[in-house]
Amino acid sequence: MVVTWRTAALTALGLVPVLVVPTPGTVLLWTLVVVALCGIDVALAASPRQVAVERRVPGSVRLSERTTSQLVLTNVARRRLRGLVRDAWPPSAGADANRYEIDLPPGEATRLTTRLVPTRRGDRVADRVTIRSFGPLRLAARQVSLQVPGRLRVLPEFASRRHLPSRLARLREMDGRAAVQVRGEGTEFDSLREYVIGDDVRSIDWRASARRADMVVRTWRPERDRRVLIVIDTARTSAARLGDEPRLDASIEAALLLAALAGRAGDRVELIAYDRTVRARVAGAAGPRLMPAMADALAPLTPTLLETDWPGLVGAVHERLSQRALVVLLSTLDPAAVESGLLPVVGQLTQSHQVVLAAAHDPQVADLLAARDSAHEVYDAAAAARTELERTAVTTVLRQRGAEVVDALPEDLAPRLADTYLALKAAGRL
Amino acid sequence: MSVPAPPTAPSAGTALGSGLGPGAGGRVVSTVHEPVTGDGTTFASRSRSRWRSARWPLVVLLSIVVVAVLAALSRPPVSSIPLAPDNPSPQGAQALARVLEDQGVRVDHVQRVSAAVSKAGPGTTLLVTSDVELLPEQVDVLVATGADLVLVAPDQYTLDSATGGAADVAYSWGGGDAVRPAGCTDVDAVAAEGIRSSGSGFVADSPDAMVCFPHPDEPGSGAYLVVQDGDRRVVALDDSRTLANQTIGQDGHAALALRALGHHEDLVWLVPDYRDFSTGADGVGTGIAALLPPWVGVVGLQLLVVTIAVALWRGRRLGPLVTEDLPVVVRASETTRGRGRLYRRARSRGHAAAGLRAACADRVAGRLGIPRSAAAPALVDAVVRATGRPADQVAHLLYGPPPADDAALLELARHLDQMESEVYHP
Repeated sequence: MVVTWRTAALTALGLVPVLVVPTPGTVLLWTLVVVALCGIDVALAASPRQVAVERRVPGSVRLSERTTSQLVLTNVARRRLRGLVRDAWPPSAGADANRYEIDLPPGEATRLTTRLVPTRRGDRVADRVTIRSFGPLRLAARQVSLQVPGRLRVLPEFASRRHLPSRLARLREMDGRAAVQVRGEGTEFDSLREYVIGDDVRSIDWRASARRADMVVRTWRPERDRRVLIVIDTARTSAARLGDEPRLDASIEAALLLAALAGRAGDRVELIAYDRTVRARVAGAAGPRLMPAMADALAPLTPTLLETDWPGLVGAVHERLSQRALVVLLSTLDPAAVESGLLPVVGQLTQSHQVVLAAAHDPQVADLLAARDSAHEVYDAAAAARTELERTAVTTVLRQRGAEVVDALPEDLAPRLADTYLALKAAGRL
Repeated sequence: MSVPAPPTAPSAGTALGSGLGPGAGGRVVSTVHEPVTGDGTTFASRSRSRWRSARWPLVVLLSIVVVAVLAALSRPPVSSIPLAPDNPSPQGAQALARVLEDQGVRVDHVQRVSAAVSKAGPGTTLLVTSDVELLPEQVDVLVATGADLVLVAPDQYTLDSATGGAADVAYSWGGGDAVRPAGCTDVDAVAAEGIRSSGSGFVADSPDAMVCFPHPDEPGSGAYLVVQDGDRRVVALDDSRTLANQTIGQDGHAALALRALGHHEDLVWLVPDYRDFSTGADGVGTGIAALLPPWVGVVGLQLLVVTIAVALWRGRRLGPLVTEDLPVVVRASETTRGRGRLYRRARSRGHAAAGLRAACADRVAGRLGIPRSAAAPALVDAVVRATGRPADQVAHLLYGPPPADDAALLELARHLDQMESEVYHP
């Protein structure tokens, strides 16, 4: 039972009779009258439990795009339902106006639309739907909060997709479709075609030309159907905040751009997210199904406050891959974490695979390095310089063990990783 | 109404091929659930669950109330005011009141002057246990009742008002512990034979007044004053121990007190209270309530009810709060800052300078194309060639001794920056 402002006003109106007849009995009588009126009002209100509530939410939405959640309320009682409805969502679902006045005659239905602009990646689960049903006097109301299930999956923003056209153009340049012919290691024979002026004379196939009247050149294209395994580290180092978002989000952006690029280049892309166990997995998706599967798998990832199980991760990689592949580790270059975690096992990966370690570093470190305003800041700068040196040393060691290292600012990580992929592909090192 | 929307197949990849869900690929998937009606509870089940959740707090509350009521009822009302008839402590006078009641005297214990005035009159005895708390008007009102007065240690004003100036306070203390004989012809005093007193004593100014139990050193003053004014009799005692529980059993105290208070069947026992300003018999016009209009209390009550109504109105939410499962986010640069603070606290300028120098040397070597593993002289030579600085200055900057204080460290950092900026940046 709920009382409204009218009840408070009616009680305050009782001051008039109390001033006319100033005895405690007047107060008691007026209070009893108000209570009785509220009781009658509640008794005459439609039951909020006699409302069929149905929810429709889109399965998923990309971060920062808007969507709607719909509630359909049907009055199945015999009384007219006058009330207030609240469609509750967590704050990060971005539901701004979610309260609705309704007036439903018996048997009728209404549709309430809540606009959602999610502000965080992940699964947003709808909270309760609260129905408050007023009596005819609107003095008091009955109220119930119902669990009406609904889940909105907020997909990663994929802001790095703006880098995709330029990288696809470079991919085409490597391909036989463009005029520029690239021949070298890692390319495979594509087809024969007639010589046109400007072609490299070294690519003339003399044997084929001898059989025909025209000069014939060979064309080449990059290798296809290579395997790319993206491994996202979701352990404690992925929770560190770089700028305004956790490191994990930068890793996800990079993984999405690489997957889009590699998928278009004809490679088979797989993904696992790992800390001490597999948190997400995408395998066997290709063509148009690849990117939705990736986004869906990456959307609910959250960092766990655990240390990465690197031997287990290597085991999981070997389990997925039977032949040589490109293994992209999206983790950290934090010297302590790498020395105790990745370094002992990276050899097992580089033996049989091409390994790329991609990590976003903190943009604040650059500010710390340059600060010279006071002795305090110089100490910080010295600490930052020391950290940078250690990271450089770790990078050197990793390169010596045969791994490629991509160390970039969070917003640069995705394009830099894509460039590294293209470079490896051009060099035929996949 | 509840027809589930068929999930449409995802469209083929668009030009950019990002195909990330509805925004990119135009995919629309709705998750539709069955309609929910009610929360599965009935009036009976809700009542049961409310009772279950509320019964233990109710039991605890109820038992506290019961215990409090029992404790209040089981203990007789006991006062701690000196000479109150319901005070059993040594300073009280419960013994005297009980004995008087047993002898058939109706003892009427009052604490307000207005109540005393309404009950006392000719043919009754009015005992005033103290006059320190009384206003002069109240004393006058009490005297005007016409009742026989028994005053305990009265001051001069009260004595004048009660006796019409027939007696004065003697201010002769130091009567000591000696038992004083009656020394007068008053029947009560003679019956009591002897009492002890350390009060200030009285002296008689008129033939109507009689002073008994004279002071051993000053025969004119006595501990007991009787003024007979027609039918009215005014008695004053200069010491409260004649009536108090602790001392009433000594000497002739009990006899004197019982006889002085037992002249009439009705005894009004006034224990004055400093919060009482009443003078009349109507009982109205006391305290702060006398200054306010009569309806204030009732309006306050109604306002209390309004406050409760407003609290009920504002207190109920439209559904519970929704919590956000916040991400665990630690600032990545915190470890670096922590390291800087450690350097600072330990005043480890050597480490800090070494870090700055090593980082500078690393960057400069990278620009000049010198391998990282190159020896110090090779790097110094290269920097000298690139910047034109003297060799010993460059060597001092890059490989010199640690700075002596924070200012020197700051200076070193700035010099290193400057030297680095002079090296050609490709």
